[in-house]
Amino acid sequence: MLADLHNHSCLSPCASLEMSPGLIARTAAAKGIGLIALTDHNSTRNCPAFRDACKRYNLTPLFGMEITTTEECHVLTLFDDLDAAMEMNRWIAAVQPRIPLNLDYYSDQPVVDADDNIIELLTYFLGQAVPHSLESVRRQTRLLGGLFIPSHINRHSFSVESQLGFLPPGDYDAIEVVPGTVDAYRRRYPDLPVITASDSHCPEQIGTWPFHIHLEGQGHDIAAIRRGLMNLTLNNLSSTP
Amino acid sequence: MTLKDIAALESVQTLHPDFNADTAVTGGYTSDLLSDVMANADDGCLLITIQAHNNTVAVAALAGAAGILICNNRPVPEDMIASARREGLAIFCTPRNQFEASCMLGRQFGV
Repeated sequence: MLADLHNHSCLSPCASLEMSPGLIARTAAAKGIGLIALTDHNSTRNCPAFRDACKRYNLTPLFGMEITTTEECHVLTLFDDLDAAMEMNRWIAAVQPRIPLNLDYYSDQPVVDADDNIIELLTYFLGQAVPHSLESVRRQTRLLGGLFIPSHINRHSFSVESQLGFLPPGDYDAIEVVPGTVDAYRRRYPDLPVITASDSHCPEQIGTWPFHIHLEGQGHDIAAIRRGLMNLTLNNLSSTP
Repeated sequence: MTLKDIAALESVQTLHPDFNADTAVTGGYTSDLLSDVMANADDGCLLITIQAHNNTVAVAALAGAAGILICNNRPVPEDMIASARREGLAIFCTPRNQFEASCMLGRQFGV
């Protein structure tokens, strides 16, 4: 199955307003993606619409967000259960800085339904770092039963490597790396699943960098996805010289 | 103090010419966390940082900074310079570290 675990909807201040959950699901399905996550910056507010949209196209959804930690590292936190994702959202929203959204530099942040109707416009900038550390976000994600995956760890900004200089040893379900660097990172971290993701912000980017995952059984829950990710490390070992 | 005066400081190099050199610089703000800059930097400040990438230009422009001083001789990518030219935002670089650069600017302001 093709999986793409990092996508931004119109709710993200840096994403195209065309990126409705409905359009993301439709485009992903057309590109053969089977497992797809919605990961807006520091908010899961478009995940209810994403659940409905994925149902229409028979996609397995993951509900999450890309959190900007206090260290300004971007990390993905992903749930198979919408309620858990919304609980994570409450935990973030309770402490999120309320910096007004500047529309000269960013786009509107609409919460929409599965039919692209606008329900609400969020007026504070969602990209701002939240006052929770990488470790604190990891713990809360685990507490709520989610997957914890640092985003584009070798990008030049907002990544674990750009902010900390290294990947702290820890409990990761996978690491997302910049396309083209998967083999190098598999050699460097043979015990970790190394994945790519589209990090889509506009329609053309949807489904551009998925990865293959084998999921056993019918119910594609977090446990099955975690096993599928762990199986990726078998490739690491076989390709390690 | 203006951007022209910053450009004239010892060890400071100007990375593009497309800004108003008479723009007033009202102080400095030293930080490598862009969320901190966004929340706390004052209008008209010179942003002193090692964050040499495109996002720094957006955050500096949003915060109303007069310019950016990249420390430690960090290489400044072309796309960052191009964005700064579009914004009319000055970018300087220096081999000094953030502490030394802050002290240098602080002396100009009598801090």
